[in-house]
Amino acid sequence: MSSTNKVSYWELIKNGITKDNTIFKLALSLCPSIAVTNKLENGVLMGVAVLFVQVTVNTTISLMRKVIHPRVRLPIFMLVISGWVTVTSMMMNAFAPAVYKEMGLYIQLIVAFASILARAEMFASKNDVLPSMFDGIGMGLGFLFALTVISFFRELLGKGSLWGFPIINAKPLLIMILPAGGFFAVGILMAFFNWIDIRFFKKSPSGSAH
Amino acid sequence: MTGKDIIKITLNLVIVYLVGGLILAAVYAKTSPIIFKNDAAAKQAALKNLIPDADNIEKMGDLMSHEKHVEYFVARKGGGIIGYIVQSYGKGYSSYIDTLIAVDKNFTVEKISILHHEETPGLGDEIDSNSFQRQFKGKDLDHLKVVKTETKDYIQAISGATISSRAVTEDAVRHGVEALINAVKGGEGNVEHKQG
Repeated sequence: MSSTNKVSYWELIKNGITKDNTIFKLALSLCPSIAVTNKLENGVLMGVAVLFVQVTVNTTISLMRKVIHPRVRLPIFMLVISGWVTVTSMMMNAFAPAVYKEMGLYIQLIVAFASILARAEMFASKNDVLPSMFDGIGMGLGFLFALTVISFFRELLGKGSLWGFPIINAKPLLIMILPAGGFFAVGILMAFFNWIDIRFFKKSPSGSAH
Repeated sequence: MTGKDIIKITLNLVIVYLVGGLILAAVYAKTSPIIFKNDAAAKQAALKNLIPDADNIEKMGDLMSHEKHVEYFVARKGGGIIGYIVQSYGKGYSSYIDTLIAVDKNFTVEKISILHHEETPGLGDEIDSNSFQRQFKGKDLDHLKVVKTETKDYIQAISGATISSRAVTEDAVRHGVEALINAVKGGEGNVEHKQG
């Protein structure tokens, strides 16, 4: 993993979106990528929530990394994550109730996202605050990007609308908004991004690298 | 593991969990009154939206619907009763459908509003659509029935979602109105909400 300090902040952000993309490359947190992406709005909101939690968790863990005893790091990471998630969900409920009504259930689930814990363990616990913050931004943006793309195609094909506004006056592929369609969308997009890598950047398919 | 390790681990956990708990308590104390106020305002707005003519909508009492606690309300305008609102649940395909039903003073349905459901996206969730909900206006108890053919007198089922359509029409709305009539005409007290 890119845990050297030589990597620039810009590089960290770029890696999170492309090379280490949570969903398309690392294949982590696939459950939410299917569960919440049947509408563009849900996908984007979930991405934003994860971005926020990822950055705050990475920053907090990085600040605490010197005082945490290695043997109890996981329970402490979990507390930091669930703490931030709970704070986020309470704030959202108080100040953005309309968003919370749609997203409340999913926000709570961020506690169990593999991607957040993975970055805390692999990056934030070994790096300074600023790189950790930028790693969080990168990974969060990558997740936001992935969820946006997936939910864009699912809503467009399944409902014929985008962000609730009708675009096509039909439902071309109803299956796309059902859970089965989520698997199709994630699989096809993952294949597409890997194909781009191989075709234009002459890289071996991801998966072997991790 | 040395004694020093044990002390460090203990301190680690105690401090982190204590601080975490305090932060959560502080945020909760700040946000919970706002959340409570928002919920109450949202409910009032939903009620007002169902009977826009009313000057005042107030709670009359409680009912039971599918073992859940629901409320019913009376709407007044200039002192006279112009209608009622009752909340009711219908057992749908994959969830209980939480519904608010507004009726006029003769218990004919004015408008319904679905607060919450988890029916199949793309099929059952058509119960949210205006074209389905509009059909309820002007229906009394005898006409709250689902039919699969085109109809003006009854409620036409959503194609592919007969179970959800039935759940709304017959389980939630019809039983809700029946319970409301019993409660209002039977006078006071908590009347058992028969459903099945």
